Amino acid sequence: MIFRFLKPPRMSPRLHRLKSSPLFAALTPLELKIVDGLLHERRYLKDEIVFDEGEEGQALYLLMSGRVRISRLHEGMTQVVAELEPGGFFGDLALLDRSPRNAQARALEPCEMAVFFRADFLGLMETDAVIGYKISLALARHIGLRLREWMGTGRPQLEAL
Amino acid sequence: MNAAVNGERAGPVVWSGIIAATCLLLLVVKQLLWLALPFIFGAVLYYILLRPMQRMVRSGFSRNTAALWVCALFFGLATLAMVAALNWSDVPEEDSWEATIGVYLDGGLAFVRNTIVLLETKFPLLAEMRLTSTVNTAIAAYTNDFASNHLGEIVVGLVTWVPSLLLAPFLTFFLLRDGVRFKKFLARAVPNAYFERSLFLLHEVDQTARRYFEGLLTLTVLDTLVLALGLWIIGVSSPLLLGLISAVLAWVPFVGSIAGCALVVVVASTDAPATPYVAYGAIVVFVLVRLLDDFVFMPLTLGRSLHIHPLVTVVMIFVGGMLAGVVGLMLVLPVLGVVMVIGETLGRLVTNPRLRARHRYAKALRVRQASIDLDIARERRGAPTASTKPLGKG
Repeated sequence: MIFRFLKPPRMSPRLHRLKSSPLFAALTPLELKIVDGLLHERRYLKDEIVFDEGEEGQALYLLMSGRVRISRLHEGMTQVVAELEPGGFFGDLALLDRSPRNAQARALEPCEMAVFFRADFLGLMETDAVIGYKISLALARHIGLRLREWMGTGRPQLEAL
Repeated sequence: MNAAVNGERAGPVVWSGIIAATCLLLLVVKQLLWLALPFIFGAVLYYILLRPMQRMVRSGFSRNTAALWVCALFFGLATLAMVAALNWSDVPEEDSWEATIGVYLDGGLAFVRNTIVLLETKFPLLAEMRLTSTVNTAIAAYTNDFASNHLGEIVVGLVTWVPSLLLAPFLTFFLLRDGVRFKKFLARAVPNAYFERSLFLLHEVDQTARRYFEGLLTLTVLDTLVLALGLWIIGVSSPLLLGLISAVLAWVPFVGSIAGCALVVVVASTDAPATPYVAYGAIVVFVLVRLLDDFVFMPLTLGRSLHIHPLVTVVMIFVGGMLAGVVGLMLVLPVLGVVMVIGETLGRLVTNPRLRARHRYAKALRVRQASIDLDIARERRGAPTASTKPLGKG
């Protein structure tokens, strides 16, 4: 009983789903449990706006179920930047600074999302550097991947979110 | 799509609302005095123990176990420190605590009498006014009627307050264990359109309270050390304990400082009844520390923590005292800080047309979603359905 804390926690289906996201793939079960304690759950209906272009970003969204379309206004026309599936995440630049969102996110079907608030992420970086560095590394890889895609294809990929 | 509304300052309407809400809350606090003080102590302890508890959670303990352990360790150590301080202090050795209090009261009264005699010697006008006999009569009247007029009130006050103060450890434990859950519970109630801003608001409220209470703790440590050093130099007994009690009393603006000064003078005059200059020295030390506190320590700790204009701070302290007495003096600044954050954020949310439009749109979507099965039934009957009607433009 005293040494129960030494045993790794059992992975619930929710933790498995979090682990399947590239953002949290490197976390151990205990670290996942700590991060899960910080995440907020939100549900969106089809066509509901998650955030608007130009809005101040405060949080990253991890798609647990459903699909989301990312679009932006370009020369007066709506340009679809990406459509995300479960396991994908968006709004990640909001974890790094308070700059305005560069695109709009809208639910394409009923969605369930886990929301990671910037202040919680920054707090985690201070109190638990290991988890912070793992998530930061995943974020950096993700942003790097987008940058490479953008340079390679010339698509207006998500410099975006 | 809307532009971000960053860094806008609240206008006069919002500020009037903030001040009115602060006053209203202080009046409520006045009615709930029994809960206000335990809550303050609970909040201070929560911010002291939060980091150690977070470390334990990261080591694999559950929140419940971690909160229990840090609370048990803290209160165990605090009790040990209290017992040690009482045993090591140089209080006069009397048979009972009543006799000890009597010795200190006699010491304080002797100091008052000696001071008046000294004043009469220096200023003959005071001797002509028979200041000594007037003060002696007043003291005698007060002490003779003390048991009948005040003792009952004090006993009833203690019986009321002591159990409520025991709430503080419980509040600390539950704040530590369930604080995150409570924050999530509040966030869950917020509509999607306002969610991110509301998270930010909750965070800012938490940060404001944290900055205030951490500032208060730093201030208490600095006050304790400086006052203890001064009292130790002039030779007053138990300087560290006296410094700590005076620093905690100073949490209440004005009244707490006077009570702390009276305590220090009583102890100093009892320690050296023949030499009133020790007590005068204690007063000088106390005043110097208060000046240092008001002009150096407080601006560096509490002043920075709340970002409130100094004029508003001073005016609101007076308003707090007028509305809710001592507790009003004590609580007006943190309450104003929190209400200010809430008021400014709500002001921005309410005046943001895009967020309101998104909320209306989401509500319409939910109404449509909720009525889909009804629509199917209507379709079967051949009536027009709600889902065929266009939604309001978001």
